[in-house]
Amino acid sequence: MKRRVALKVVGATLGAGAVAYAGAPVAEWAAGLSLDDTLRQHYKVLTEDELAQILRRHEDETKKLHGVDVHIEDIPAQDGVSFGYALNLSACIGCRKCAEACHQENNHDRRTNNSYIRVLEMEQGSFDMERGNVDYDHAVPAPGKYYMPVQCHQCDDAPCVKVCPVEATWKEKDGIVVVDYNWCIGCRYCEAACPYHARRFNWQPPEIPAEEINPQQGYLSNRIRPQGVVEKCTFCLHRTRRGLLPACLEACPTGARVFGNLLDPKSEIRWVLEHKRVYVLKEELGTRPRFFYFFDE
Amino acid sequence: MAAPAEIVGLPEPPPPPQPVLTYLRFLRRAIVLAFSGTWRFYAWMTVLTAIALVGLNAWGHQLLHGMQVTGMSDHVSWGLYIANFTFAVGLAAGAAMMVIPAYLYKDHDMHDVVIIGELLAIAAIVVCLGFIVADMGRPERMWHVVPGIGRFHWPVSMLTWDVLVLNGYLLLNLHIAGYLMYMRYLGKVPRRRWYLPFVFVSVFWAISIHTVTAFLYQGLGGRPFWNSALLAPRFLATAFISGPAFVIVLLEVVRWRGGLKFSDGPTQLLARIMRITVLLNLFMLGSELFTALYSGGAHGSAVRYLFFGSHGKHALVPYIWTAVGLNIASAILLHLPRSRTHKRWLLAACSCAFLGVYLEKGMGLIIPGFVPSTLHEVVEYTPTITEWKITAGIWALGLLVLTVALNVGLAVWSGRVRDSTRPPERAAA
Amino acid sequence: MRFLLVAFVVLGCQRDRREPVRPPPGAPIGTVEIHQPERLTSIATTEVDALGRPIRVACVTCHSLRKPTRLPSSTAELDEFHQGLKFAHGTMSCGSCHVVGDQRSLRRADGSLVDMRDAIVLCRQCHGPQARDYDHGAHGGMAGHWDLSVGGRTRNHCVDCHDPHVPAFQPSLPVLPPRDLGIARPTGAQ
Repeated sequence: MKRRVALKVVGATLGAGAVAYAGAPVAEWAAGLSLDDTLRQHYKVLTEDELAQILRRHEDETKKLHGVDVHIEDIPAQDGVSFGYALNLSACIGCRKCAEACHQENNHDRRTNNSYIRVLEMEQGSFDMERGNVDYDHAVPAPGKYYMPVQCHQCDDAPCVKVCPVEATWKEKDGIVVVDYNWCIGCRYCEAACPYHARRFNWQPPEIPAEEINPQQGYLSNRIRPQGVVEKCTFCLHRTRRGLLPACLEACPTGARVFGNLLDPKSEIRWVLEHKRVYVLKEELGTRPRFFYFFDE
Repeated sequence: MAAPAEIVGLPEPPPPPQPVLTYLRFLRRAIVLAFSGTWRFYAWMTVLTAIALVGLNAWGHQLLHGMQVTGMSDHVSWGLYIANFTFAVGLAAGAAMMVIPAYLYKDHDMHDVVIIGELLAIAAIVVCLGFIVADMGRPERMWHVVPGIGRFHWPVSMLTWDVLVLNGYLLLNLHIAGYLMYMRYLGKVPRRRWYLPFVFVSVFWAISIHTVTAFLYQGLGGRPFWNSALLAPRFLATAFISGPAFVIVLLEVVRWRGGLKFSDGPTQLLARIMRITVLLNLFMLGSELFTALYSGGAHGSAVRYLFFGSHGKHALVPYIWTAVGLNIASAILLHLPRSRTHKRWLLAACSCAFLGVYLEKGMGLIIPGFVPSTLHEVVEYTPTITEWKITAGIWALGLLVLTVALNVGLAVWSGRVRDSTRPPERAAA
Repeated sequence: MRFLLVAFVVLGCQRDRREPVRPPPGAPIGTVEIHQPERLTSIATTEVDALGRPIRVACVTCHSLRKPTRLPSSTAELDEFHQGLKFAHGTMSCGSCHVVGDQRSLRRADGSLVDMRDAIVLCRQCHGPQARDYDHGAHGGMAGHWDLSVGGRTRNHCVDCHDPHVPAFQPSLPVLPPRDLGIARPTGAQ
């Protein structure tokens, strides 16, 4: 009986030691968590003061981590503005400058060359994306091909918004679907639900050289995101809510991209929708995208 | 019968013990039981603990460095964890297979061993919850899902339904098993109103946990491989293969270890159920294959990738054909007359069925949902060592929970361990 | 009932939003500028400066000293200056646009002259659909504001993208393809 007890004590001690050893990385991770981040409330219930404090805190953290002074803003949606985006497939030459501009504007991870925009090289005469190719690496535009960039369509009936279990992603008044990076739990259900491959997950902390960090940042858009959360194209809301054009449009050399306010009858996007034969991707899924494709003639 | 105090010389009966103290004493005995057994028990528990600790270490690694340590990508964003989660939900639902005959059909033989099914359901739900936590990018934010303090996107998000039904199923089974075991320990007859309604609810709840899990995938219009009405029925059919298969093997283990006497009736009943469900599963497989391959087009590209490979990529082809082969083998074995008389054939059939469903529902369901991607890119997925370690660790944790639960549960159920301070109650005639 | 009340308070609680950014009424409308490409007033030589940029020479530097007397009938005749100039712009000839003896002007289809910097006028003569799209912001790159009540924008000139002598977009190499996790690169880079 005594031997049994002694063995049990030895076993328990060894077991405790093994748990401490095996669990060391978990303890290290737990120690690295910040209380503010873990207990932070959802964006929609933060008060003005809390949000201002949070923005300053993030700016300080960025300064400490990357050595760069950044300016993070929270710009609300404007009344009377509802964004729309159109893309001219006759003009797109597949140069991927839009993807590169997005990569730089949104402080994406450099190692994976991540971008919210993915350009497909399609066969002329076919809409079948299975015959499309994302990896093309030859001179463009190649004969017999046309080019179709795909990014988040800010759908009016977005499946990603429907499936999020914690409402970390929602549609704002001006039509942009945003993500609260400090509320997202990283379950990636939205990434599974999106029919357009628009969502990206931070599989690791992003690596950006300090001199390449874009210091003009938005709380809901291009501030440097932590690992383990989902992100997506926000139509550069830190720019567009200030009236500027999105970065992808400015980079496009052919002017294939048209952006504007759908509620303004004199806007360029309205003219395109009224005078060009526009269509949307996967319309049969009922997502009602705000991103339209058109050919010139 | 004269009151004892009237008989001269006998002492006063002891005052009835306080309920809370009795319960705490029961818990203490249960904990002691959990750590007592033969050397085989200790060896088994040590191996399981070692595997669980390897998994814990790997999970810590994943937390520190991000999920880049897995093989998942933006194209295949759910992998081994969710595959195992889906299978484990089926296992938990399949445990209800014992409850239905025991209570709805008053099968007394089954009633003797139904506790095993309930304890299996508890362990399986623990495994499910483990895989959910392992798959989360920010597990410290789990409180966001709690209604009231977080933001619970119910009823629109199917994941919130899944949170409710899985945790509810766990609580239901904890209550039923706990109540029945405690009553058995006390020697009292269980009061019907404290367990019978819960038992009936748990039958429907078991079906609902797997239906809700199927709806998670079924409701995604952008994933044509999953967006099929057949997914929920197929999930239930495979749940009622994997559950009974595991229970049959478990019953043999319990019989071998001793501690509870029961007839062969439950095993034969579960085998009879499996004989139907394996054929049903194969029929549904055929139906899916026909739908995808006859009409052709992009709608069937995931099935083509899974069974035949696509664009030169064919990593999943060996797995799915093995799964189909195992399912067919188990169907044949179960229908051979020899399986009714020779236990080894039945156990072989159960192993084939369990493994076949595991492969088919795991890699054969989750991964092809993502291949080709929504932009029709074929990007493959191979789990990394870290993922395998975490997966093994969580299954080891589940087996630990199951072993402890069975150790305590069978000791109490068989009457070996009971509260000796009170006489056993006679059941009402 | 209490639960509903709590739910209403918790869920209905939104913080006070700041006034959105809108300019006051009567704010100046942003101007739309058209970028002036260098190509319209200078030509690149083969020499480069200290920063590697080609040295550009204004047209008038040479053409104030030498005034040609006739336009060539094909680019093969350019043997002294502007050698190697390629031409692939329909069935036009040099005289369709250029004016002999006046290198600062171009001629419209009816013979009237416009300044070289207003070359867009010539493009618009024939390319009506593109001109219409350009006017409505559906052709040609731009930078600046979509909301002209907040700021201005700069439009590309036709000549910024289309060489008037060879207007078709020449194939060029795109930005490198994505190398996100999960895609195997032939070089094995990951």
